[in-house]
Amino acid sequence: MRVLSTVKFTLLRMLRNFIVLLLLLIVPIVLISLFSLILSGAVTDTGEPYLKQPAVSLVLCFQLFGGSTVMYMIHSELFTEHRARMQMLPISLTMYAFSIMLCGVVYSVMLGVILMTFTQFVLGLIWEHWLWTIYLITLMAILSSVVYLVFMFAVKVYKTAERLSEVYGIGFILLAGLFFPMPDHAFFRFMGSYGNPLTLSTIAIHEMSMNNTSKAWFAANILLAATIILFLVMMVVGRRRFMRDRV
Amino acid sequence: MTVFKFSLKRSFSNKTNLLLLTLFPIAFIFFPEGEYWPVLPYGYQYFGIVLLFISIRLTTIILVDRAKGVVKRLAVAPISYGSYLCQNLLAFSVILVMQCAIVVYGGVLLGVELYQPHWLMLLYVSFSFTSLAIALAWISIFRSKESAFLIYMSLVTLLAILGGLLMPLQIFPEALIRIAVLFPTYWLNQGMSWIASEGSVGDFILINGVLWLYTIIFMILGSTRKIH
Amino acid sequence: MKAIKEPTLYIHGWRFLQIGLLMHVWIVGDLGFRAFILILLLLILTSLRWRFRLPVWSVLLDVLLCLLLFPYTDIHYVALAIPMFELALRGKWMLSLLLVAGFSLLHALHVIDSTIDLIFWYHLHAFLFGCFSWLTIKSQQSYKREADEQRKARAELERIKMDLLEANHSAIHHAELMERYRISRQLHDHLGHDLTGALLATQAYEYVKDSEEGDKLLAEVRQRLERSTVSLREAVHNVTPTAMIGVERLDYIISSFQHKDIAFYKSGDMLLVSAYMWGLLEACLKEALTNVARHSDATKVKVDLQVTESIVRLSIHDNGSVTAGSHEGSGLRGLKLRARSIGGSLSVNRQDGFLVVCVIPLEKVGGADEATNRR
Repeated sequence: MRVLSTVKFTLLRMLRNFIVLLLLLIVPIVLISLFSLILSGAVTDTGEPYLKQPAVSLVLCFQLFGGSTVMYMIHSELFTEHRARMQMLPISLTMYAFSIMLCGVVYSVMLGVILMTFTQFVLGLIWEHWLWTIYLITLMAILSSVVYLVFMFAVKVYKTAERLSEVYGIGFILLAGLFFPMPDHAFFRFMGSYGNPLTLSTIAIHEMSMNNTSKAWFAANILLAATIILFLVMMVVGRRRFMRDRV
Repeated sequence: MTVFKFSLKRSFSNKTNLLLLTLFPIAFIFFPEGEYWPVLPYGYQYFGIVLLFISIRLTTIILVDRAKGVVKRLAVAPISYGSYLCQNLLAFSVILVMQCAIVVYGGVLLGVELYQPHWLMLLYVSFSFTSLAIALAWISIFRSKESAFLIYMSLVTLLAILGGLLMPLQIFPEALIRIAVLFPTYWLNQGMSWIASEGSVGDFILINGVLWLYTIIFMILGSTRKIH
Repeated sequence: MKAIKEPTLYIHGWRFLQIGLLMHVWIVGDLGFRAFILILLLLILTSLRWRFRLPVWSVLLDVLLCLLLFPYTDIHYVALAIPMFELALRGKWMLSLLLVAGFSLLHALHVIDSTIDLIFWYHLHAFLFGCFSWLTIKSQQSYKREADEQRKARAELERIKMDLLEANHSAIHHAELMERYRISRQLHDHLGHDLTGALLATQAYEYVKDSEEGDKLLAEVRQRLERSTVSLREAVHNVTPTAMIGVERLDYIISSFQHKDIAFYKSGDMLLVSAYMWGLLEACLKEALTNVARHSDATKVKVDLQVTESIVRLSIHDNGSVTAGSHEGSGLRGLKLRARSIGGSLSVNRQDGFLVVCVIPLEKVGGADEATNRR
């Protein structure tokens, strides 16, 4: 497994990108601190702090953008800058691509976990089911990298893929109704519940904290199924793109 | 006015900008109304944020000029840096004012409840200049277009939340409301509340005056000529 | 990093911090919008000061802003620190002190009322920091001026040094020409005259039949030849230098250097090397050997002198250990300059002992003409 030796450097390169760290770690920390300042001490009727809802949404929202590092790295390693160099190496490029993807997911999950730790130990918000939340964060991270890669493989121009990925992130946040309530229409109702990874994972976490295990698993499994399907799509599109570019 | 003309052309040159400058504001007309907050429909409440974003997208032209060394060439060209800057800013403000007009009067045409659309137009125009000045001051710090834009996004989010554009100010703690006053977005928010509540004209002039004071401050800070 | 050491950075820092302080006072003080507008207006003035150098009278604007915007609150009093600072910064510290004193007097007489008791100390502090900044900027300017002057003086010295070296070069050349001229004149005036006379006498002798006359002529020829031999001896004696020159001189230096085991190799035609080059080579050798004796722990020194048709190369190599902190002394630097002035070069290498190599190009006879012709 020669690919294993590259993992360290892939992770280092991801950590070194300070803008990503700023956008995906510092900004949510500042935002969540601000929310906790604004909503200090307020609790809902059920005794849950008001902060819980924005905290869950924030942790998951930023997972929607976690795929950008993977997309950028795969693009530069396998398609543009280092493409020729990588093809010279005696490693399996598929495995290398997977290792990059895995690193990106681990990185993204790590940021999510740091955010959870911060909210629990600094802001005093209790996350009941750590493992369950991390599982959902992981699912979201994988989904986001897969979606970003599908965009990159399917669209010719990288800039367009970037724009599409922004639309994916912001679009689902909008559709989840976090900025303002969506109009009451079948399409928006669907996209605000089972058609939206953000709401699906929010539901899963919420139901688990309500001890509705079956509902929670149901939502999580939809997410898992979507991830698997998109993963297969990504494989097909990615292979075709790579082969086409080779000629 | 060559710089002005080319600045206009360059602003519309790529597809993303074209979409952002034309269809994007129109979409905001169709945003729904809130129940008890905000006072104006959501699209109009959030339009200030849009103006901030569009300003940074437009002003990056100046940043790109600086990075590519166009500013260096301008230094020896028979055109002063002040005139270059003014013509660029004029072009950007023309675009922003047009967008404000589209959003406000498009809303009027479609029958959106805007209380006093002309005053709203004035408020948006004042804020467009403020946001343009802020963007100008912001890009004067940076060398790279991408990092300037991405870090500005996080800044705008904070500005929007603290100014009360994303959340009602009423739920803020007392101290935070005092701090919110320091942000230009707060004054935009106040202006929009004024439009819905129909207070005295003096208050509205005060609000616009503060926005203009901010414009002057950031314009002074951002007008430095930097040659790398 | 350079910007951090600039005093203006700290002055601007103070100005903007002052605005920050005003904002803080405004937030905690539960003050009205007029006070907020005051802050914004002061911020405009501050940013103008950041951008341009405003005239001193612009301080009046700050004072007027503080005095005209009713009602007076703590912010107005805190903000007065800005004109105090600015006045002191421009060297108008009397005015600034007057402002501080006047304000504290009014405060003491309860004409104005501030909830901040320590405001006097704050103003004094602003005044002092203003004075300090003024002095700092003043001294920075004077240091800059001085450094510029020093730099200019040094550049002039360097130029004079180069001129002197060139003059030295041409003086040597002229001396050589003069000497040649003197020798040729001596040969022509005395030796040449007598020899020609002797030749004419011998030619005349062939035609003379009278033996008495012939003997007289012969005696004259002998006398002339004797005189010319003396003249020749004198000329040669005058021309031959009493001091050693050229390679002999190098030999002498090396033989008189007794500290270390020293080897001298030479090859090529030493006569190709002009006198002024010998001067440089000798100086090089002396300097290198002095360095060895003084600073080095070397036990062996190898001196190599090679003369080819186009260059002369002198290398002095010792086996001393290299010390890390060693740097070039003024001796070697001066030699480098001298070498450069005659078109040669001197280089030093510290790897594997200490090596000094001096290379001087030899002027070919008519070389310059050939070069111009070829062009």
